[in-house]
Amino acid sequence: MQPNDPQVKWIEEPKLGLAGKMYLPLFVQGLAVTTRHLFSPKVTVSFPEQRPQIGNPLIYRGVHRLNKDEQGRVKCVACFLCATACPAHCIDIIGVESPWPDREKYPQSFSIDELRCIFCGMCEEACPVDAIELTSLFDLTGRSREEMIFDKEKLLSVYDQTKDAEPMKSTACGGTVT
Amino acid sequence: MTLDALVRNPLTWGTLLFAVGIWLLLPRGATRGWWLGLVITLVSLGLFASRMPALGDWASTGTFGFLAAVTVIAAVMTITLKNPVYCAIWFALSLLGTAGLFMLQGSQFLGVATIVVYAGAILVTFLFVLMLANPEGHASYDRLSWEAPLSAITGAFMVGVLTFALVGVFNPPDAFDTKFSTVEIDRTGEILAGEHMAHLGGQLFSRHLVAVELAGTLLLVAMVGCVAIVAEAKSRRGQPASRKRQRPKSASREPQRPELRAGEALR
Amino acid sequence: MATDLPSLMQNVVAPLVKIVLLIGGLMTAAAYFVLLERWMAAWVQDRRGPNRVGIPLTRIKLLGLGQPLADGIKFITKEEYTPAHVDKPIYILAPIVILAAALAIFAVIPFGSVLPPIPGIPGLDKEPIPLLVAPGLDPSLVFVFALSSIAVFPVILGGWASNNKYSFLGGLRSSAQLIAYEIPLGLGILGVALVSGSIRLDKVIVDQAASGVWNAFLQPLGLLVFVVAAFAEAARLPFDLPEAEQELIGGYHTEYAGLKLLLFLVAEFLHMITAAFLIVILFFGGWHLWGLTGFSEESISWAQALLRIAVLSAKVFLVILFFMMVRWSWPRFRFDQLMALAWKVLLPLGLVNLVVVAVMVEYGGTLKSQFGGGVYWIFAISGWLALIAAWVVAALVSPSHDDNTPRRAAQKFDTEAEFYRTF
Repeated sequence: MQPNDPQVKWIEEPKLGLAGKMYLPLFVQGLAVTTRHLFSPKVTVSFPEQRPQIGNPLIYRGVHRLNKDEQGRVKCVACFLCATACPAHCIDIIGVESPWPDREKYPQSFSIDELRCIFCGMCEEACPVDAIELTSLFDLTGRSREEMIFDKEKLLSVYDQTKDAEPMKSTACGGTVT
Repeated sequence: MTLDALVRNPLTWGTLLFAVGIWLLLPRGATRGWWLGLVITLVSLGLFASRMPALGDWASTGTFGFLAAVTVIAAVMTITLKNPVYCAIWFALSLLGTAGLFMLQGSQFLGVATIVVYAGAILVTFLFVLMLANPEGHASYDRLSWEAPLSAITGAFMVGVLTFALVGVFNPPDAFDTKFSTVEIDRTGEILAGEHMAHLGGQLFSRHLVAVELAGTLLLVAMVGCVAIVAEAKSRRGQPASRKRQRPKSASREPQRPELRAGEALR
Repeated sequence: MATDLPSLMQNVVAPLVKIVLLIGGLMTAAAYFVLLERWMAAWVQDRRGPNRVGIPLTRIKLLGLGQPLADGIKFITKEEYTPAHVDKPIYILAPIVILAAALAIFAVIPFGSVLPPIPGIPGLDKEPIPLLVAPGLDPSLVFVFALSSIAVFPVILGGWASNNKYSFLGGLRSSAQLIAYEIPLGLGILGVALVSGSIRLDKVIVDQAASGVWNAFLQPLGLLVFVVAAFAEAARLPFDLPEAEQELIGGYHTEYAGLKLLLFLVAEFLHMITAAFLIVILFFGGWHLWGLTGFSEESISWAQALLRIAVLSAKVFLVILFFMMVRWSWPRFRFDQLMALAWKVLLPLGLVNLVVVAVMVEYGGTLKSQFGGGVYWIFAISGWLALIAAWVVAALVSPSHDDNTPRRAAQKFDTEAEFYRTF
């Protein structure tokens, strides 16, 4: 690109007054800002002892859970929409014929590789029955790669763990949020 | 002084061997004889060292010997290595040795000033130029010594004459000793006393005022010359070259700048 | 050199003890200043900073005071990787030289006043013991200069030997910057030397303590010039061009790792500590504090001696806190601004200060006989007037804005020679 390209817009630097040329405003502003922040309350927390406050847990995108309905069955109908929507291809479902009369299929196995997951929330958006949701659990750790592939039992247990703090979002599908 | 005495003096042989050794060590293009040159140079330095007078106790002698060895060996390395950057580093070490020798003699300011001026300012500028001008160091004219035999002989001759004069080959030893000691006593009283800097300054600006002012004037003239050269270069740059286009002063205010027409030059 | 016991104690043992104490203290101080620097960085950015490492193998945290130990172990046990493309001898030599030079400066920097004679130890029971490793060196300020100019070598050579463009640029910037700022630094010192009549650092302190008037009050212009130049010499923000992370990755020590990098970093902190010591000693009275420390160096009690060390350390600590605040307060200078500041602003200001101080010293005697102690008020007022006037003038003559458009239009040249002809 040439300096005289018509698309280049040249902007004049603002002119400084006498005080500006003496570096005085810069001097005072700089020190004032740093001194103020030196004594201002800290925004970080001492993590393991003190949990950070998550603004709205209902919209936070942390570890997944598989929701259960009123009878304690998994809500998932094994439609594969979440696995199709997933950009990281981390959801693996084996769907079999459902033993219950209200749906055709249910997942025999449902596993999510949490190490591949990018926590984008597309699965949550795609799910027609609100079976898969992202919770506000963020401190996800494990000692091996195998451990980080969450199977159906584990995902359902995440639901049991978080259902009181974070109720299901949609009332139309049996959610408790009004 | 007879020829016989000269032949039996180890310093004579030291000087001759020094010339030969340095000639062999200097980068002449051919690498033959480098190890021989190293051995000969070390032998000649040993011959010089054999006539070194003892200074007081072992500590002073040891310190002096160490500093002198560092200085001389670093100086030899400075002129015999091929990589200019390494030459500069060895030169710096040689200067540090010189500064140490000055300190040992009690002239603290001279020692410290040597480091500030030579090692700190001049040599860093050298390094700057060396690194910027020829970062690869592949140019053959940088890696060869131009007049190897002549420079080796000249250097050895100067070293020889200085050493002869200092050790007192030309003068009877006792006369030299008394003369040297009186000089030392005078200086200790005047300059090397407690308030070293104050005395030195007083001496410089009273007895040696003319020399100081002359040196200052010389530097001033050099600086004025520099400024003149730079100013001339700048004014030459100001004239429009054949294909170079000047940016008009008002151009920065206008967004379009039609008068620039740099695209034309690109075509 | 005499070899009897008293002189042996005085000339060999006492300096060795001082050296051991000084190096131990400096290394510990440098380690804890790293922690402090990280704390300050965190606090200014509204974070908490390192507060985890306490006593090893226990759960005691002690506000993170064990962090320097952990940092040190980390640096020492890291893989000491030497890239294949470096110039090995110089690459290895550079960090050693920079640390040696940075430590050697403290041979002439007093870390206290004097200790009273210790009865029972031969050689030390007659005279007060100076808290200074090399008390006999008269041109001690020039010595500081000499070693700080030696410290340029490792930076430029380390950058060159790394055989890396960023390292090399950092080394070149650093050498140009250090050479340029040595001149205003010297001009700042000259004013102090004129007032004190000596360039021995301990004499400078005693002189200020005896009059009770610190040089900062008499020559604020000199203080300004010296402090700015000292920041640049220590390569601290806003003058940390040699290792500007955003531009040069790591600057001259990009290619260094492990222990060698540690040597470079420790040397940098030592430079900052040196600068703080010099600022305190030259302009803020060293160990002197009114009403507390006295000013005599002949008769001194143990309490007073320790108090003086404490006062000096406290002042140095405050100056270093200022250094660390400044780091986060102002943006980095551009390189041409850096050079312009040195040559076009600080150099003339330093000369003005020198002239003002020379006039003060010349007419100080006559004025003193007329006004007595009030002469210091006259000096101080004239010094501050000189500061304000010089600053305003410097601001008035500086351009009010920068033209950021390119100087020349981009052109295409057929040959390289044609390109060079346009210069």
